[in-house]
Amino acid sequence: MNRGERVPARFEVGDKVQVLDLNIEGHIRTPSYIRGKSGKIIQFCGFFLNPEDLSVGNTGGPVYPLYRVSFAMKDLWSDYDRGEDDELCIEVYDHWLDTSKT
Amino acid sequence: MRGYHDIGGEEAGPVPKEELPWLYWEKKVEAIRNLLGDATRRLVSLDEMRHGFESFGIEKYKRYSFYRRRLEALIDTLEIKGVLTRKELDAEVAQVKADWISDDTGTGAGSHEQG
Repeated sequence: MNRGERVPARFEVGDKVQVLDLNIEGHIRTPSYIRGKSGKIIQFCGFFLNPEDLSVGNTGGPVYPLYRVSFAMKDLWSDYDRGEDDELCIEVYDHWLDTSKT
Repeated sequence: MRGYHDIGGEEAGPVPKEELPWLYWEKKVEAIRNLLGDATRRLVSLDEMRHGFESFGIEKYKRYSFYRRRLEALIDTLEIKGVLTRKELDAEVAQVKADWISDDTGTGAGSHEQG
């Protein structure tokens, strides 16, 4: 991938996805509590420069698809005892996602 | 990989609900970072600054306040990129302080020129 290129979007709204646990050193925007968890794409946010590239001063791209993904709170926290339908929505870049097996 | 800053879900006890004042220097640091990171300059991105304080090591990270972390990481990044040195910055701060004191005592306006 070179400067100005666009990583193709692999997912659509409604897709079930699983967050990967990529072993990336340095600055990442995917918190540990969602890694390995399954959720649903609820919005496509657009294409953005990857924070992992920006964190080391690379502003040349490529741009990556960013999605808003929802997770059931009870899937994230085993002791969650509030609303059964409560969800957490968080933005995740395409390369951190895979099609959910569940 | 889980960084020391990635604390979501850790035991933290009750959340203290107190309003903290947003200090002038803190606002100024944010304003400067915004200017350095805008589309015309792209000198220091927000993610670069985050990468900076996420690489401090946990002791230094915990010792500093939220905005002090950002300030220190901002200076580090500018130094790495050769924009300024800590030595130059310290000299500038000393000069401004000296001017401030001389203004304060009415012994003449500071003659220091803004660079």
